[in-house]
Amino acid sequence: MRSRIYRNPVGVSKFTGLVLILPFIIGAVLFIIYPFVYSFTVGLTDNNGGMSFENYRNILSDSSSRQAFGVTLKYTLILVPLKLAVSLLVALLLNCELKGIGIFRTAFYIPSILGSNLAVIIMWQYLFTSDGLVNQLLSTMGIAPVGWYGDPDAALFIIVLLRLWEFGSTMVIFLAALRDMPKELYDAAKVDGCGNIRTFFSITLPQLKRIIFINLILQTIAAMQEFNAPYMITGGGPLGNTRTIGMYIYEEMFRYGDEGTANAVSWLLFVIIGLIVMLLYKFTEKLRRD
Amino acid sequence: MKKIFLFITALCCALSLSACSAKKERPVTKPDGTLDKCSLRFSWWGGDDRHEATLKAIDLWNKKHPDITITPEYGGWDGWSEKVNSQVKSGTEPDIMQINYDWLISLSPDGGGFYDLDELSSQLDLSQFDNEVLSFGKVGGKLNAVTVSVSGRSLFYNSQVFSKMGAEYPETWEDLIALGNSFGADGLYPLDLDIQSGGTAWYLAVVYVQQQTGRQFISVDGRLGFTVEDIKAALSFYRQLEESHVIRTVRTRTDEDGNAALYQSPEFIGGRVAGVLEWGSAVGKYESVLPEGVLEAGPLLTDEKGCSDGWLIKPSLLYAVSKHTKYPDEAAAFINFMLNDEECAEILGTTRGIPASKAAETALQKSGALKGLAKESDDILSSADTMTISPYMELPRMKEFYNTAIESVSYGTADADTAARQMFDSINNYLEKIRK
Repeated sequence: MRSRIYRNPVGVSKFTGLVLILPFIIGAVLFIIYPFVYSFTVGLTDNNGGMSFENYRNILSDSSSRQAFGVTLKYTLILVPLKLAVSLLVALLLNCELKGIGIFRTAFYIPSILGSNLAVIIMWQYLFTSDGLVNQLLSTMGIAPVGWYGDPDAALFIIVLLRLWEFGSTMVIFLAALRDMPKELYDAAKVDGCGNIRTFFSITLPQLKRIIFINLILQTIAAMQEFNAPYMITGGGPLGNTRTIGMYIYEEMFRYGDEGTANAVSWLLFVIIGLIVMLLYKFTEKLRRD
Repeated sequence: MKKIFLFITALCCALSLSACSAKKERPVTKPDGTLDKCSLRFSWWGGDDRHEATLKAIDLWNKKHPDITITPEYGGWDGWSEKVNSQVKSGTEPDIMQINYDWLISLSPDGGGFYDLDELSSQLDLSQFDNEVLSFGKVGGKLNAVTVSVSGRSLFYNSQVFSKMGAEYPETWEDLIALGNSFGADGLYPLDLDIQSGGTAWYLAVVYVQQQTGRQFISVDGRLGFTVEDIKAALSFYRQLEESHVIRTVRTRTDEDGNAALYQSPEFIGGRVAGVLEWGSAVGKYESVLPEGVLEAGPLLTDEKGCSDGWLIKPSLLYAVSKHTKYPDEAAAFINFMLNDEECAEILGTTRGIPASKAAETALQKSGALKGLAKESDDILSSADTMTISPYMELPRMKEFYNTAIESVSYGTADADTAARQMFDSINNYLEKIRK
């Protein structure tokens, strides 16, 4: 049998590699590097058109921007652990071999596909109005109705709940990892007389360490950039208690037309997210290695 | 490879810096006095009544001028100014825009943000407008926009609820407070004020204090006329309205309506909230959610001991042409059609208020269409000693200051004195920063 000889269509020279990745480089320069650098320079441009750190100084001294950073951190700290816990729990339940389990797996993933579209937001709004379905359910149980939108803490809770409801993507990643786990480990645990709880903490959880870390990073970044849900459900109120930093950037840029502040805050958010990811990397390094 | 990467990064930096320091201005197309075949984009915001009438008017235009096609872009008020703001900043705005009064300051501080309509007088008949009305659209000596209608906010009530309660429409502030107490016994509210996009809460408080003091809140050239004490009086008055059950508290309103506008609220549609403070040019959306003839215009509230009527008017809407349009003559011809054409005026009716154009007003008078709430509101305001709103008063950043103060007073997170001082300082600092 004659062996085929493949020839490199672009020839072999020291620039071959560069030519091959040129489309990506052009795309990256136009749509990533240039906007990044441009945004940074706009953030450094003051009202008189000069270059200074005035925008950054104003942001740090502005109480509403500090409040927005605080709200974002609070939201992230509440949502991310809850979402990871719920996703893992549901993934464990959906990992069993039952007839028709595929239907349940699909059903639990549907909220993630819907995302924060207008229909979901309107549904959410009506669920939590003063005479909405949630308060009607509470009153049938003899619990006094809650002012979901008017109470600063309850308003943030509504948004957390919406995002928690959309746990499908995180759950699917956990489920894939669970289904890839070696069966032998569980068989050995059974032989050793381990119960379900012991098996979970001694086998399942250690095996999922890397996946938990990936989900932790992805969810932290998404939560820090939250915009849609508070913008559409609460408009940032009451008393600015649901105004996330994403909303603050939007308002500065498009409502107040302050490009310098909006870009400077974007860069601060970028740095903060970078720092949080670095810290998470550092603190979980030993755990992940063990 | 490293050198290439460094080169690209340096190039990006250089390009970004040059883009920041010298934004390239696109050349302005000069008018040639002829109408060429083209397609133009026209954007506006409003309620369904305005959308339907405007689409019909565009159909009429397209029939009369088959060579100049108008593509409509429209929506509700929420988020509209943000959309247009970003379009203008990125140079992708429609050729013809319905704009708000304060946008002249934010989008064209030196008069160069929109096309100078004085240059398009061959297509646009400006003789139909009073000089005072035209002056509303002038910035830096350039006619940036033409006023569609002059309007003010006035009070409208649900007549069914009032007759059921056996109540008369209030004429004085004391009447309003007394009404709150009587309506409150049945869990009703005679009025609603909001701190969202409408910002009617601060508006009414300003009218009240202007009547008490005779001082204008902000002058046309952007100077704060109120003292800290005046702002404190306005905030205290607002709190009194809440306490007297005239209006819902911010918290109750937010709980019941969420983020929805009042005309979409079951509380307003169901009659629990029986009044609204609204522009005569925009009251149609409230009128359309109630049975026909139920919403009625009430008298402007006055104070017998007060110095002036204190109520405010402004050009409620204006038409502007993008400075980037390639077809200025055609855009001006379309604006002329929307403002002065008799047939068009009959189709549009009072969906944008009572027309400022004499030709359009005459056409409506002839056809008997000059009626309805917009007309009633216009008549009521015409008979009062009104002040012209400063465009600075309606800037989005200013609304943030008002809403923050009112929300904190309503929630009790700040007393009226503290909130007034903070608001006074914030407004003064901001006005100083942006004043021309």
